[in-house]
Amino acid sequence: MALKKNAVIVGGGTSKFGIRQAHLLDMIQEAASACSQDIPGLKPDDIDGLIVATTMAGRHSSALNTAPLVVHRLGLKPTSICIRLDTLCAGSNSAIIVAKGLIESGIAEVILVTGAEKVYMPQRWETNYTQLMVNDHDWDSAMGLGVPPPFFAMIAKMHMKRYGTTKEQMAHVSVANYNYGTTNPKGQFSGRTLTLKEAMEARIIADPFGLYDCCPLSDGASAVIIASEEKAKELSDRPLVYLRGTGQHATHSMSAGWPGETLAEWPHLKKAGEVAFKNAQLTPEDIDVAQVHDCFTISEIIELEELGFCQKGEGGDFVASGAIKLDGALPTNTDGGLISVGHPFGASGARQSLELCKQLQGRAINQVKDARFGLAHNLSGTCAQHTVVIYGREPVD
Amino acid sequence: MSEYKKAEIIGTPALNGTYVAEMDMWPLEAQEFNRLYPFYDHLREGKFTTTKCRKCGHVAFPPGVICPKCWSEELEWVELPQRARVVTFTETQAGAPIGFESPLIMAWLNFGEKAPLKHLLGRIINCREGQLKEGDEVKFVVFEVPSHPIEVKKETKVCNRVFYAFEPVK
Repeated sequence: MALKKNAVIVGGGTSKFGIRQAHLLDMIQEAASACSQDIPGLKPDDIDGLIVATTMAGRHSSALNTAPLVVHRLGLKPTSICIRLDTLCAGSNSAIIVAKGLIESGIAEVILVTGAEKVYMPQRWETNYTQLMVNDHDWDSAMGLGVPPPFFAMIAKMHMKRYGTTKEQMAHVSVANYNYGTTNPKGQFSGRTLTLKEAMEARIIADPFGLYDCCPLSDGASAVIIASEEKAKELSDRPLVYLRGTGQHATHSMSAGWPGETLAEWPHLKKAGEVAFKNAQLTPEDIDVAQVHDCFTISEIIELEELGFCQKGEGGDFVASGAIKLDGALPTNTDGGLISVGHPFGASGARQSLELCKQLQGRAINQVKDARFGLAHNLSGTCAQHTVVIYGREPVD
Repeated sequence: MSEYKKAEIIGTPALNGTYVAEMDMWPLEAQEFNRLYPFYDHLREGKFTTTKCRKCGHVAFPPGVICPKCWSEELEWVELPQRARVVTFTETQAGAPIGFESPLIMAWLNFGEKAPLKHLLGRIINCREGQLKEGDEVKFVVFEVPSHPIEVKKETKVCNRVFYAFEPVK
């Protein structure tokens, strides 16, 4: 039997995120262009596999079988894999998990993972309405569960009640992420900064969330190259960044199956993290930089707890202590996160993984000194599924 | 910058008045499209029900065609408790999806530690904004929702539909 190969993330790029005057396929082409600028040695003919992650393509862009459309627009001729994949907000990190397996097994050599969403429609009501179709439609959605803020607001209320988390602690997440994202040229809120006072005094979206506690809705696309170690050396001279371990865990689709004692406990994330750390042969203490799914400020706080970066219930203190800042114990969402860069669902995972690639290659805009290990996390839907991907400067033995 | 002429025809006239199931916010409840149609028949009788496994005894929610614990197909319909306590809740004034009136009140409901269905996200209706409190008791309530057409050979049949929510116990 052939020895297992190592999979690496070579580089990538994104389109501008935000309210875009562009078609879904336009933005995927922009992301591919940014990817080729990031990896000057890369040509379309080098790519033997394509995985497209998108949720809204079918409804919003009338593009149900999306992969062939991307093949044609990007001039690809894949021979190993050519698929569209959907896990909502975790789409492109899920695609990276699939790509890792295909590279390690020798089925593919160079895979383009692209994630994209066209969220904004000619009439805005349709954007909110579509969100009834991404939850468990016949059960939770028919109860009115569409846009996420009300659900996560209940999570925040429970966390505040059980663990004493405060609005000010949540505001520290907004401030950190806006201030990281101000230097991200592709971000929705590029150039914007935020003070604690502004965050605290923002208009209420869903009690207890103010405007800056919530990530925006965004159009956008991202693209990364996952390749075998041998191919990566041909494509780029940069340090190799290995896919060390992954975990993905789901327990339910609708509220009746919620696995936690209350909404403030996310045991399904704890499990996904444990699986990923075990596969990566690492512990939370090893991680130098993290990109966790900050769809809301409370999400980042709970994720840092459940992933083991602080004790359960101490996430509020952890973020307020400055631990998530560039000189802190765990610089988190160093490119601005969902809150500042924006959140085109399927595109977010690859955007996070690209930031970790740059961090571990020592070329990030907000560079964490000597970063060796990085973790990316997405939650999907109304916290139904968790996806964790861990990168390192060295492969797993 | 492109110039747009004043349009004489706007939208998708071919669809005017046509039912589009892809845009439907309610379930397709008819027997022709759903093996769980008894759930909706039971709603019409004022009953809140689900499926219980005859082999392993597991009570699932939502109901299903097989038991999610043991994959047995031997299921029976059982009634669920109709009263619950509000653990926490949220009131949406702006941004409720089209079709849901504001304020849209949703609550995390607890049916009790021994209930087969422990918790559920429930919409609270017949309730003013500011009226609901944590710990309040709410009860199951059924209401009519828009029907939809089904083609049956050359005829069009109408599926009348219902759904459920919860309301404060006075």
